[in-house]
Amino acid sequence: MSDLTVDPSTTGTLELRGLTRRFGGVTALDDLSFSVPPGQVVGFLGPNGAGKTTTMRAVFGLVDLDAGAVVWAGQEVDQRHRRRFGYMPEERGLYPNMLVGEQIEYLGRLHGMSAHDATVATTTWLERLDIADRALSKVEALSHGNQQRVQLAAALIHEPSLVILDEPLAGLDPAGIDAIGGVLRSLAASGRCVIFSSHQLDQVEDLCESVVIIDHGRLVVTGEVDDLANTGPRRLVVRVEGDRDAAWARGIDGVTVSEVSVGEARLVLDTRVDSDDVLRRAMQAGRVTEYVFARRKLSEVFREALS
Amino acid sequence: MKGVLVALVVVVVVALRLWRRRTTSRDPGRRAGLGLESMSSLVGLIAAREVRERLRGRIFKVGTLLILLVVAAAIVIPVIHHSTTATQRVGVVGALSPIQSEAILVSGSNVGVRIEFVDLTSVAEAQRGLRQGTVDLVVIDGHHLVVDRADGAGSTSTSTQLADSVARNLGLVDAMLAVGLTPHQIGQLAHSSTLTVTSLTKAKAPVSGVSIIGIILLFVMLSQYNTWVLIGVMEEKTSRVVEVLLATVRPVQLLAGKVIGIGTVAFGQAALIVVFAIVLGKSVGSNFLQGTAPLELVSTLVWLVLGFAFYSWVYAAAGSMAERQDQVQSLALPLSLPILFGYIMALTAAGTQSASTFFKVLAYLPPTAPLTMPVLVGLGQVTWWGFVLSAILTIASTFAVARLAGKIYRRAILRTGRRVRWKEVLSR
Repeated sequence: MSDLTVDPSTTGTLELRGLTRRFGGVTALDDLSFSVPPGQVVGFLGPNGAGKTTTMRAVFGLVDLDAGAVVWAGQEVDQRHRRRFGYMPEERGLYPNMLVGEQIEYLGRLHGMSAHDATVATTTWLERLDIADRALSKVEALSHGNQQRVQLAAALIHEPSLVILDEPLAGLDPAGIDAIGGVLRSLAASGRCVIFSSHQLDQVEDLCESVVIIDHGRLVVTGEVDDLANTGPRRLVVRVEGDRDAAWARGIDGVTVSEVSVGEARLVLDTRVDSDDVLRRAMQAGRVTEYVFARRKLSEVFREALS
Repeated sequence: MKGVLVALVVVVVVALRLWRRRTTSRDPGRRAGLGLESMSSLVGLIAAREVRERLRGRIFKVGTLLILLVVAAAIVIPVIHHSTTATQRVGVVGALSPIQSEAILVSGSNVGVRIEFVDLTSVAEAQRGLRQGTVDLVVIDGHHLVVDRADGAGSTSTSTQLADSVARNLGLVDAMLAVGLTPHQIGQLAHSSTLTVTSLTKAKAPVSGVSIIGIILLFVMLSQYNTWVLIGVMEEKTSRVVEVLLATVRPVQLLAGKVIGIGTVAFGQAALIVVFAIVLGKSVGSNFLQGTAPLELVSTLVWLVLGFAFYSWVYAAAGSMAERQDQVQSLALPLSLPILFGYIMALTAAGTQSASTFFKVLAYLPPTAPLTMPVLVGLGQVTWWGFVLSAILTIASTFAVARLAGKIYRRAILRTGRRVRWKEVLSR
C-alpha cells in the first residue's frame, strides 16, 4: 500500500478542453484549456479570483459547465473516474466529531475500497504522515497542521490516479510543507497526475516540474519550470557594498530593477544592454561583492505573465 | 435501546447486500472496471455512518432516555393516581344490616370504585373524619348519609355519584323491607336480569374512536425527525465535508443515504418508545391504549413512514441552504406550517363524529395527508381504496419532491458565506 507502484491502468493525462463557466455577469472560466501529464507535479497558479477553485471543482463535477469537457485518459470524466481521483478542497472539510482513523477509512470505502483494504491503507497513511498516534482522536481536537495531514490522507487513501489539491500548503510550518511536498513528489514519481494550487511561489518552484498560470479564467502561461526560467530577458544579480537601495542601477537605460533585497539587486536587462556596461556602472558606484547571471524566478514568471 | 436499533440496521444492511448481490450477479462485468460498487452500497455506507454516529452521540442517548422517562411517567402516574382514588372509604356509625352493606357494595361497583368500610364510634368522629378527608361518606344507623360538601346537581365526581347511588339503594332497601320483602327476596331482586332490546333499524358499526395520543406522536415525531435531517445536512455544509463527499458520490446518493440513515435511527427510536409504552402499559395495567384499534395503529405507523419520506427531502433541501443555527429557524418555520395545519385540523376533527368535506380533501393532499388520513381511518370514514389512493399520491409526490430537492441541494450546498435564497436555487 505504501510503495506507490506504477499501475499502467491507473495512469493517464488530464485534459481540460475549453472550460467555460459564467456566474451571472461574471465569467469565471473563459474557454480554459490545458493538460496535466502523468508523472509530474504541476503547480496551478493565478491571482485570487482567477478561477483556480472553479476549475478544480469542475473536474469533480461540482460546477455546472456552460461549455467544455474534462477528459481523463481520452474519456470524458464521469463518476466512475472521479472515484479514482483524489481531491483536497480549498476549504478543508472533515466531520469534526468523527474519529480520525474511522473518517479516513470511511472516505476510502466511499472510493470503492473494501473494508479490509481501507483499514490497512488508513494505518499506512497515518504512519506515513506521522499522525498514527492521533487515529483515535476527534478531528476537531487536532492542530491546524495535523488536520491538514488528515485531509491529505483522506484525499490519498485510495491511491488515486489523479490528485487535485487546492492550496495544500496554506498555513503549514516548514516541517509540514516538507512532509506534504515529499508525498506529492513520490505520487508523481509513481506515475500519477498531481496538480495543486498555491500562492507560495517559492515552494511551487521547488516542488513542481510544470506550472499552469491562469487569470480571469483564461490560460496565461503553461510550461515546465526549467523552460520558463530560461526564457525571457537576461537577469543579473548585483550587490554593491554600501548601496542598500541599489540606487546606482536606477536610471541605466534598458535596465529594470525587479527586486532589491538588502543591497542585492535583481536586474532585468533589455536585449540592447551590454552586461559589461552594467558591471562598469556598478564598480563606479562602489565595491562589487556579487555579480551573477540568474534564472528567471517563478515569482517573476508569474508577475510578468500577469502584467 | 441499542438492541432494537442495531437489529434494524442489520436488517437494512442485509437487505442492501442481498439486493446488491442480486444486481451484481446479473451483471458480473460491472464488478470489474474501476472497482465500482453499486449505488446501493454507496447509499448503504452513507446510511450506516449516519446510524453509527447518531447512536454514538450523547445528545441522542440522553434525549431517548428522557423521552422514555416522560412516556413512563405519562403511563405510570395515571395508574397510581387511579388506584388511590379507586377506593372510597365509607364511615359507619351504629349498626348496618348485611343487606344494607350489600346495597352499599353494589353502589360501589355501579360507580366503579372499591368500598372500604370504616367503623366510627360517634357522629362527632364522623364529622371530623369527613372534614379531614379520612372518610368520603358516612352512613349513620343505616338511614342517614353525611358528606363533607354537597356538589351541585349533575356533578360527575366519584364521591357525589357514590353518595347518590348509596342514598338511592339504601332508600330502596328500606322501601322493600317496608312492603314486607325478606332480605333473601331483596337479594334476588338485586340480581335481576335485563331484557333484550330489538331495534328495527340496523345499528351503525361502532366507531373505534380517534387516538389523540397517535396524532400527537405523529406530529412530534415528524417535526423532530425532519429537523434531524435538516440539521444533519446543514452540519455537512458548515464543516465543508460535503465538498469532499460530492467529489466521490452523487448528491442524490448522499441525500438518500442521509435520509435512510436518519430514518432508520428515527424509526428505531419510535419503535423503541412504542414497544416500551405497550409493555410498560400492560405490566402496570394502564388503559392508555384503550380505544386504539390495531388498524388505526398500523395506519398511524404507515403515515409516519410516508410523512417522513415526503418531508425529509424538503427539509434536506432547506438544510443545504443554511449555514448557521439561526438560519435554520427561519427556514424550518414555513416548512413546518403544513404539518402544523394538518395537526390542528386532525385534533379538531378527532373530537367530532364525522369529518367535514374540507378535512377529507386534506387527507388526500400529500403535505397534510400524514396527519389527517389516520383520523379518517379512526372515524371509519375512508374506504380501503381511498387510503391506498392517498398513499400512492403521497409516494408519487415524494419522488417529485426528491427530484426537486436534489436539484436545490446541488445548487445550494457549495454556496457558502450567506444563506442561499429560494430564488437563486430555483431559477435556471
